Amino acid sequence: MGRKAQKNDSLPGSLDMLILRTLSLRDLHGYGIVQSIQQSSDNELLVEEGSLYPALQRLELNGWIEGVWGVTSNNRRARIYKITAAGRKQLAVETRKYAKLTLAIARVMGAE
Amino acid sequence: MLIRRLRYWMKSAGRSEALREEMELHLAEKAAELQTDGMTPECARAEARRRFGNVGLKHEESREIWIKRFWSELGQDVRYGCRTMIANKAFSTLAVLLLALGIGANTAIYSLMESILLRSLPVADPESLVVLNWHSRPPQNANKQWVHVVHGLQGIFWPGDKSTLVSGIFPYRAFETLREDNPAFSTLFGYFNGQTKTLAIRGQATSVGAEYVTGDYFRGLGVSPAAGRLISSEDDRPGATPVAVISFATSQNRFGGPPNAIGQPILIDNVPFTVIGVAPPEFFGVDPEAAPDLYLPLHTNVLVDGAGTARLYSDENFYWIEMMGRLRPGVSMAQAQAALAPRFHQWVATTASTDGERANLPALTLNPGAAGLGSLRRRYSKPLYVLLAMVVLILAIVCANIANLLLARAAARRREMAVRLSLGAGRFRLVRQLLTESVMLASLGGALGALFAIWGVRSLTFLLSHGQENFTLHSELNWNVLGVTAALSVVCGLLFGVAPAIQSTRPDVMPALKNGRGGGPRRRAQHVLVVAQIAISFLLLVAAGLFVRTLDKLHSVQLGYARENILLFSLNARQAGHRAPEITTFYANLRKRFESIPGVRSATLSQSSIINAARVGQAIRGTMKIGAVILDGARVMSAGPRFLTTMQIPILTGREIDDRDQPGSPPVAVISERLARTYFGNENPVGRRITLPDEKRDLEIVGVSGNVRYGGLKNEEENAMTVFVAVNQFPPDRVTYALRTAGDPLRYVNSVHEIVREADSRIPVTDVITQAAEIDRTISREVTFAKLCTGFAVLALLIACVGLYGTMSYNVARQIGEIGIRMALGAQRGAVVWMVLRRVLLLAGMGLAISVPAALIGSRLVKSFLFETQPNDPGTLALASVVLLSAAILAGYAPARRASRIDPLAALRHE
Repeated sequence: MGRKAQKNDSLPGSLDMLILRTLSLRDLHGYGIVQSIQQSSDNELLVEEGSLYPALQRLELNGWIEGVWGVTSNNRRARIYKITAAGRKQLAVETRKYAKLTLAIARVMGAE
Repeated sequence: MLIRRLRYWMKSAGRSEALREEMELHLAEKAAELQTDGMTPECARAEARRRFGNVGLKHEESREIWIKRFWSELGQDVRYGCRTMIANKAFSTLAVLLLALGIGANTAIYSLMESILLRSLPVADPESLVVLNWHSRPPQNANKQWVHVVHGLQGIFWPGDKSTLVSGIFPYRAFETLREDNPAFSTLFGYFNGQTKTLAIRGQATSVGAEYVTGDYFRGLGVSPAAGRLISSEDDRPGATPVAVISFATSQNRFGGPPNAIGQPILIDNVPFTVIGVAPPEFFGVDPEAAPDLYLPLHTNVLVDGAGTARLYSDENFYWIEMMGRLRPGVSMAQAQAALAPRFHQWVATTASTDGERANLPALTLNPGAAGLGSLRRRYSKPLYVLLAMVVLILAIVCANIANLLLARAAARRREMAVRLSLGAGRFRLVRQLLTESVMLASLGGALGALFAIWGVRSLTFLLSHGQENFTLHSELNWNVLGVTAALSVVCGLLFGVAPAIQSTRPDVMPALKNGRGGGPRRRAQHVLVVAQIAISFLLLVAAGLFVRTLDKLHSVQLGYARENILLFSLNARQAGHRAPEITTFYANLRKRFESIPGVRSATLSQSSIINAARVGQAIRGTMKIGAVILDGARVMSAGPRFLTTMQIPILTGREIDDRDQPGSPPVAVISERLARTYFGNENPVGRRITLPDEKRDLEIVGVSGNVRYGGLKNEEENAMTVFVAVNQFPPDRVTYALRTAGDPLRYVNSVHEIVREADSRIPVTDVITQAAEIDRTISREVTFAKLCTGFAVLALLIACVGLYGTMSYNVARQIGEIGIRMALGAQRGAVVWMVLRRVLLLAGMGLAISVPAALIGSRLVKSFLFETQPNDPGTLALASVVLLSAAILAGYAPARRASRIDPLAALRHE
């Protein structure tokens, strides 16, 4: 972790998408989600840890994820989140939106 | 979906806690990771926190997500609800008006209950006050002989549990005994109702209510004066300077404000007193029923009520003083009772003189005193519960009716709901929005109902007090009542809103989208609601019928004396300083002057009016005997000349009491027919004698009168026997005059006032009332019930009929196609009318089937309010059924007729 990683604030709302994507691979608790995102982005994306919990609440309220009490790999009690069917649908929607957006940005950047 | 969201809302408190735990875990894991990277534990923890950001803030943010959402959605719903309400003005107005009636009636009755049954005295820490009572078996043994330590009393008994007798009066010695180093009470104080006194201020006399209080009364209650000082122990000793505390209202009416009253001389029954203080405006003593104008030190009763009252203080068998105590901090009422009951028992045992008395000693009990004395509660709690039951039923009808209207409207909104559901709206969200709408309707209704209740409380108080003088029910809308109203509105809104909301958001979207017409379940729900309304109206109709019948029976009671064209009023010359024998001539001369008023046919006087006879003591002391036989169960009435003529009581033989019967002449009596028959059989009693051993006099019977019923219309004393004695020979202190007048008796009130003022301006004329009004006052509760209940029943029937009409109209509208086909196939108009009416009758019949058993059971609860009417009176039940069925047919006829006028062609084309 020697160099400064990019904070995830370039694309507002993309945190939700990243969480959904992470949870679509496996069920995780809060800290696990942060680590997972960090690892799978090769430490390029650094989730602002405090913002994770409001985001989780929002996702749960919308019915996209569901938290249940469980035990972490370190044997500690934690809320383990899993993605719901509605969440998978939402992930698909967001993925399409994101693809469109990055494509558009790439076009703009390419035309320069 | 629905369940999950519900769960969220219910767990909101737990969620906040879970969030905190999650964040803690996150920080711990982060710190652990940093530690493996080589940081010291402290550094790691600090770094983890730093990277996380502000924990508290993030926690708040997460929570806010939920709360914000709730409020924003509520805002949306309210805005949408407003639009819907404005769009359906007719519906909204009707619903709000119905609710205002229902909620208003409930609020009015509840605020009366609150003031009578629940409210605390306006004194310091009312919760620690206790009232002292005692109970024992009835004092009369099987032979009707009085065997009890209570030899004399001034106060009341009331029936307790298991045929015991309860009372709150004690001998003065008992008060002293309990007061001495009392372990349970910080103060023990006594009081005694002084009845009415004549209060003269600067020569102006009025009749006022007075309360005698012991020196610790005000200190024990924790009341501070509005001006001056209150009565203290120094003032309540024999021989102390006579001082008085007056009520706030009296200080304003008679002195122009509390400060002006202090130090002023006043005359109470012609005895000079000095005003030392004014009670605070909200204070009304310890009995919510009576608000005294005067508070006098207990021992001044020797000055005011005559030296004879001094013996009250030493007589251990005379019961008269009432007591209240304030519990010491930390002492419970049960502990206090355990400490005091043996002490009282020990004392009261020493006052018993025979074994019979020792076998039935009074036992001390403590009761909560926070709400003051219970006389008003005992009298009104049951009527109020009955009224409350009625208004709750009305509100139930209103709710059923609005639910029905909403169901019909749900049909119209079904497409709207289907569209919203198919666009992805959550069902819970829609239900919530519909409930918000119904709660808004109910809240509007509740607000309007509160206004309606202000008027309702006033008229109810008027009805309940019906002519009673100084009826002091302090009831008004307060925050407590308004809170209950608000809660009631919300509950109503949820109650009538929930079924329609669930119905109209049924997720079977497709059929609704296709044709926009409702299916079966809603019709069934509507029918259930209509049946419920019919059943409830029937209950109220039966109640109204029973009360009206009771009133009818009461009006047909034979009293034995005239009711119309008689003016009654009372004078107490003794309180203005007149004494025997002059007082007798004074009263006699006044009678002659009243008789000379033009238009007055005859005038008489007596110790009390006939209605009040039971409340005034007997005119003679001791027993009466005819020969060796004790005259039992006869009432003695001290009456003046021409009493029987004025009251139009028939004179059967002999003569009535007249001017010949003077103090010096031989005492005479006129007896009633029943007495004559009972004790003399077929003999002529005229000329026979009644002996009075205690008075050491004989009465010569000079006449026989018709029978008279005492104590009003519903009293059981129809078998009462009467002995009339001459008012000149047995003079009472206070007399009631009766004038038989031509035309309205109240026209003569001014002449009466003038004559009394001329004779002695210090004597106030009190209790001015017509005989008819006084008789009606004894049945005021029955009149109130009959009026209110008839009103409630009509209202309920009207609402139920509107509901029935609405449902049938809706059904007919839905069946246009079917009816059109039937008519096209040759159905007669009559058959179509019958088809609709048959359903109306079916619904009404179902309502009746449910309601008749309920009425049979429920009417037993009001048995004690009925007079010569059985709770299951078949005539009343039949009449109520007929009224109900006719009303139902009337309500159903319009839709039926409309159905029969359907043009088959138009109907089929419409389809």
